[in-house]
Amino acid sequence: MTSASQTAPQRGGVGEAASIEGLHISLQRDGVRSNVLRGVNLTIGRGEIVGLVGESGSGKSVLALALLGLLPSAAAPEITGAIRVAGVDIVHGSAEELRTVRRDELGVIFQDPMTSLNPTMRVGRQVTESTHDHAEAIRLMSAVGIADPELRFRVFPHELSGGLRQRIMAAIAVAGRPSLIIADEPTTALDVTVQAQVLDLLRELRDEFDCSVVLITHDLAVAGQIADRIAVLYAGRIAELGSVSDILHRPNHPYTVGLLRSRLSLETPRDRELLTLRPETGSPGERMTGCAYHTRCPLAIDRCAVEQPPLEQGGIPAADAHLRACWRSINDVQNLAHHSQGDSVVTPRTRNEAAAPAVRVEGLHTRFVLKSGGRKRREVHALRGVDLTVQAGEAVSIVGESGSGKSTLLRVIAGLTPATSGSVALAEGGAQMVFQDAGSSLTPWLSIGELLRERLLPLRLGDAENRKRIDKALVSIGLPLSVAGVRPADLSGGQRQRVALARATMIPPAVLLCDEPTSALDASLAASVLNLIREMRQELTMTVLFVTHDLSVARLMGDRIVVMTQGEIVEAGPVNEVIEHPSHPYTQSLLASVPDIGVLA
Amino acid sequence: MTASTNIAARRLGLPTSALRLHAGNRLSFAIVLLLGLVTVVALLARVIAPYDPIQSVGGLNLPPGSPDHLLGTDAIGRDLLSRTLWGIQVSWFASLLIVATGLVIGGVIGTLAGVFGGWLDNLLMRFTDLFLALPGTLVAIAIVAALGYSLQNTLIGIAVVWWPFYARIIRGEVRSIAARPHVEAARLAGISRPRIVLRHILPGVVPTAIVTASLDIGNVVLLLAGLSFLGLGQSAPAPELGADTARSLQQLLSQWWVPLTPGIAVLLLSLIANLGGDAIRTLMNSKR
Repeated sequence: MTSASQTAPQRGGVGEAASIEGLHISLQRDGVRSNVLRGVNLTIGRGEIVGLVGESGSGKSVLALALLGLLPSAAAPEITGAIRVAGVDIVHGSAEELRTVRRDELGVIFQDPMTSLNPTMRVGRQVTESTHDHAEAIRLMSAVGIADPELRFRVFPHELSGGLRQRIMAAIAVAGRPSLIIADEPTTALDVTVQAQVLDLLRELRDEFDCSVVLITHDLAVAGQIADRIAVLYAGRIAELGSVSDILHRPNHPYTVGLLRSRLSLETPRDRELLTLRPETGSPGERMTGCAYHTRCPLAIDRCAVEQPPLEQGGIPAADAHLRACWRSINDVQNLAHHSQGDSVVTPRTRNEAAAPAVRVEGLHTRFVLKSGGRKRREVHALRGVDLTVQAGEAVSIVGESGSGKSTLLRVIAGLTPATSGSVALAEGGAQMVFQDAGSSLTPWLSIGELLRERLLPLRLGDAENRKRIDKALVSIGLPLSVAGVRPADLSGGQRQRVALARATMIPPAVLLCDEPTSALDASLAASVLNLIREMRQELTMTVLFVTHDLSVARLMGDRIVVMTQGEIVEAGPVNEVIEHPSHPYTQSLLASVPDIGVLA
Repeated sequence: MTASTNIAARRLGLPTSALRLHAGNRLSFAIVLLLGLVTVVALLARVIAPYDPIQSVGGLNLPPGSPDHLLGTDAIGRDLLSRTLWGIQVSWFASLLIVATGLVIGGVIGTLAGVFGGWLDNLLMRFTDLFLALPGTLVAIAIVAALGYSLQNTLIGIAVVWWPFYARIIRGEVRSIAARPHVEAARLAGISRPRIVLRHILPGVVPTAIVTASLDIGNVVLLLAGLSFLGLGQSAPAPELGADTARSLQQLLSQWWVPLTPGIAVLLLSLIANLGGDAIRTLMNSKR
């Protein structure tokens, strides 16, 4: 606590909007109690934007709920330590006090505005619920950048785009003139071009309404764009806390270094293996003693395993403290940061121009009829004349925002969605697909071994040969053979995506279709899955069609990039050409909105 | 949560998560055990029953608590405990049989409709709607009237009107699971259609089917008792809960225990079945 509270607020008035002292929270899930937060100290100054960055499971969302006093009672939370928002004790406060604080001092923006807005209520009324005044609601709606607020006042949430919905959430959040806005992954569900706008909006709201913001995100670059300070959360503790430039350019904790290095950008070397964090190998018990990161830390020493490092200032004391919880010296950590090249080199593979193309799509149109109640029928023209030829052995990235038709194109190629007109020709071997959400693409009640074995059934190989092939597939994706006996729910997200990859490639297909396979994964896991796809592609000389919304991923995964919007291909070409000299305005706007933190200093 | 329930679930091909026990679910678990106890009592009724339920074995209209006759005797000296136990056996297994039949017929129709969709779906579901539109109890009575009075015909009568409910529920569940990505992934993996249905869709329907069926047992117990009260069940000397109540109803004011004993047994059976259904739902939902 001592050092954290000394941190001077960055801007705005004096004092603090909220403070967290020695916060421990344990929650119960399925009868098992786990310590989600393990001693968090943090002060949020008035008018300050604090970015709370962590991977899934770091406890960042629990911290947000705790600040709101909204921890689910079903999880039987046990809280020690103190949370104070505008002087009110959130941990011990009465329901009445909490309600008052939430009404007068707190605003909240959740990840998915579709589920946090009431779908049966016009958005204007939802804003008015907080303002109690029509004129004020209109004023707020225009303040958050909604054009024609009078008109939009009367629509339902589903009639708005994701970005506009998030703006409505923001209008509601600032309606009570809060001193603190908690934004939990406010941009994660949005397209990249909208993301930047929503982040700007948060900063504008801070300036206009003079409130503090806690921005919770898994992406250091998102926090870097608008935050004053960043707290990096790992396994329920703050690993490092400092100003944005300190964290992004002078990271003093090996975990922050790892996060930064595994982050993909438009500068990531294409010909090298992507850097990843070491996978978790320790048991939960091991992680709970000493530094939680020691089982994965490349710099771990004996002391890390037994003694928990305190969050304290290293180096020269400065006005805004840069705190870190690590036993190693700052020099050691910075050396790690500078040694930042992937080891093995990915050799460019040869494209087989002579062979027949792996995929040939011609004049593809796909229309869906959406029945929207009663006799109203709405037609969606998802693909409007797509032509695409992919040579055998080639990798093509398809980039576009939601609704661009990129996923529909993959599904039509896979044969999951019928084409309205046009043709799709595949080379022998057919298509296999890796889905965005590996969890839901694996049958939950079958074991991994059974799922893989089913793929081999048509070959009629016999039990012994099947087992050999399954073992080989598991080895190739870097999972222990014992995984064959467990179910998908027992694996982590990254492991599930690996299994999905193994299933798709254990009989090499003519083309591997990847539908945003890493967008639901933490940065480091995503990088390791991308590495695996690239490795497999090399080994099996596989053709890959890789759909993504992220240009930096598209750049790494493809030989060519195809940009789609509104069901059409608007730009296509070799990766370097598209990235460096985008010709279509849409590509240019996509490029401009890639959040970036610059090269590590 | 325990390893043994997981193994049991795997044997049954059920999602393990469905059987995981929550620490706070001990009450539900106890109620499910009660359901098992009723089944054991019904199973062993002929062994437990102290007397032949059809023979006159003691004094007439002995009150409950009499020596040798725990629940008393009826107007012709038959042991009420023995009659009730036999009656429970008939009611309980007949109800289970009807629910199981409904589940199987409805399950097959619902699965076919859900998997194939299109015109077959339309045909099967309109046929189902037709049956749903008929007043079930009346149709059952009509069928018994046509086929003749017997327990067997009563069961046939109820079974005929009992499946449409299941067909609807299972079709809906099959369709929702069939639209999930894991089924698409299985299709892409080149797995045959029957295998997809059996391995990738139906196991997901099992929890819903079990919960729906267990909540339904109580209804059937009541319906059966009601029909046999009206005289559409076992013929005269055989013990049956509804019929026994009806036959001795004129004794209600003089020897209340004679009609009330089988009546209370029906009440308890139906209550336990409903609580059991609720408990099963709680247990299965705790991890979904």
